[in-house]
Amino acid sequence: MDLKEVITALSETAGASGSENDAAGLALSYLKKYCPDAAITDGCVIGNFGTHRDGLPLLVLDAHIDQVGFIVTAVTDDGFIKISNLGGIDRRLLPAQPVCVHGKRNIKGVICTLPPHLTGGESGVLAMEDAAVDTGLTADELRETVSPGDSITFDVKCRQLAGSRITGGAMDDRSGVAAILYALELLGDAPLKYNVTAVFSTQEELGKRGAKISAFRIDPDIALAVDVSFAYSNGENPEKCGYLGKGPMIGISPSLSREISDSLFDTAKNNSIPYQTEVMNGLTSTNADRYSVNRCGAKTCTVSIPLRNMHTPVEVIDIKDVELTGELIAAFIREV
Amino acid sequence: MIGLLEELCMKDGISGDESAVREFIIEKVKDVCEYRIDNLGSLICFVKGKKTPEKRLMIAAHMDEVGFIVTAIRPDGTLSFDMVGGVDPSVAIGRQVRVGKKRISGVIGSVAVHNLSKEQREKPPVFSGLSIDIGAEDKKDAEKYVSPGDCVYFDHEFTRLGEHRIRSKAIDDRAGCAMMIRLMHREHEYDTYYVFNVQEEIGLRGSGASAFSVEPDFAIVLEATTAADIDGVSGEKKVCCLGGGAVVSFMDRRTIYDKELYSLAFDTASQLSLPCQTKTMVAGGNDAGAIHISRGGVRTIAVSIPCRYLHSAASVADTEDIENTYRLVEKLSERIFDI
Repeated sequence: MDLKEVITALSETAGASGSENDAAGLALSYLKKYCPDAAITDGCVIGNFGTHRDGLPLLVLDAHIDQVGFIVTAVTDDGFIKISNLGGIDRRLLPAQPVCVHGKRNIKGVICTLPPHLTGGESGVLAMEDAAVDTGLTADELRETVSPGDSITFDVKCRQLAGSRITGGAMDDRSGVAAILYALELLGDAPLKYNVTAVFSTQEELGKRGAKISAFRIDPDIALAVDVSFAYSNGENPEKCGYLGKGPMIGISPSLSREISDSLFDTAKNNSIPYQTEVMNGLTSTNADRYSVNRCGAKTCTVSIPLRNMHTPVEVIDIKDVELTGELIAAFIREV
Repeated sequence: MIGLLEELCMKDGISGDESAVREFIIEKVKDVCEYRIDNLGSLICFVKGKKTPEKRLMIAAHMDEVGFIVTAIRPDGTLSFDMVGGVDPSVAIGRQVRVGKKRISGVIGSVAVHNLSKEQREKPPVFSGLSIDIGAEDKKDAEKYVSPGDCVYFDHEFTRLGEHRIRSKAIDDRAGCAMMIRLMHREHEYDTYYVFNVQEEIGLRGSGASAFSVEPDFAIVLEATTAADIDGVSGEKKVCCLGGGAVVSFMDRRTIYDKELYSLAFDTASQLSLPCQTKTMVAGGNDAGAIHISRGGVRTIAVSIPCRYLHSAASVADTEDIENTYRLVEKLSERIFDI
């Protein structure tokens, strides 16, 4: 599979939290190749890999399908769209930011910004309640096509950067979705240590809500949350970050299973897969937090793809890391 | 004209680096004028009319757009950079850019919002805290693609919004360039000079030199000017409005405009039943500031299209305003010889 093509297609298909249908539909079409029974269940994409055998523990591979964005709260009489945020948005980058409003049809627009003569040069950061979208449509035209509750995403295309790095607006967590797809492709029909179910869950950015119900539905013994984490770039604290291009970040945390973390480290070492260690001191802010305490509990770990500029239209990843993440997951599941 | 404007906006040309825009314009006008390029790079065109008037008219627009320049390559392979022309760091953060002659793709990033303190999240960004990331692994890798001094351009597609609005970079002042190219293709009653200037955005520098050499008696500056008719702004603070037609101002931060020409513009608009508005705040400035005090003085007027989010990658303008502004200037440039 052409990872760059898959990541690009996934990242350019909209799926703000709560409105994941388009992105989930595309992810489902990819997943069906490996999980013929895959379907969208309560919004989440769920598919069983191969034929599950009796007696094997059930392992879930989870990546979230939603992305941060905005939601329409009102259309003003002057023809502007008032908005609120879906997930943690960096409001510093809102002024003049191109967006796409997903109404009855997709409408391009831009977030309004005040020119310097009105701010006197010294302005604060735009408050969410002061933000508005300019679409070039009149209030009447807007009311026909846009309703409160419609979602809005950044209007941005993926771009190839130097080497194997790419940028796009929803690398978090479409690159995790791609890593899982790649792992399933690598597994082929090899004998496995676990029965495997893939889940692309909704509403992670709003509090991991999709994973809560998917975890309950599937009831796994083991779960790997395949998400993104902070990659070092200028200004970040190097001690709190991974690095682009140096492989998946394996989590260690009181809330995660030491057994699975250690087993992932061993798998990486035995298969000469480069990896990085991500130490956390409690919850992980990923879907792992849901799986670990689902029903009577699951052994859970995080496998994270390093990413720069998280929750912005210019997220940056290295495709090499997605590839290595897929390799690590496949090696972990495959019977030696 | 909007197709022409799209081609112009998609050309990259920050101040001091206008050659791609200039070459494109030359291709479009070389058959209808005599032209030369002055020492700073401004394109000075002369269109022969049926008559040579006593007083000389110059119509001007600027070719340059705002952008950035690479100042250094950091050890981690990211680039530090500064603005060229007035760009708010808030419209730079989180955008795609193209860097250098090879137009390498890059993004302007910062520390992830998760890793900012509550206070930092409420503080607008500054350029020293931003980086351009071209995907290089380290400084050595980055040096293969870019060098300090490389120009940086916004990377943004020209997009139609609704029926007659557009969203693009560089509408300031490729809209003026587009109108001039079209004006030059008319039959001319009188000889007229058309000047496409450089370096407006860094202090009206090209227009001073070109006005000195053209020595006009009258000047019409075609521009794009700030419209603030957005959500939450009312009354005179809107300055001017999209859909309100050409903007003719009596004064801005650099110029008090010729009163007779100001009246002539509104009179012409009313004669043609074209919408026309003035700026309701004294703000901004344009090449008129350098032109009207050139040599012994030049009687000058600026006719602008209203434009929202000026100096960003996603400026918004109205195509009907551009058409109406064109028609006004078309007539005004004839009537000006009657003064």
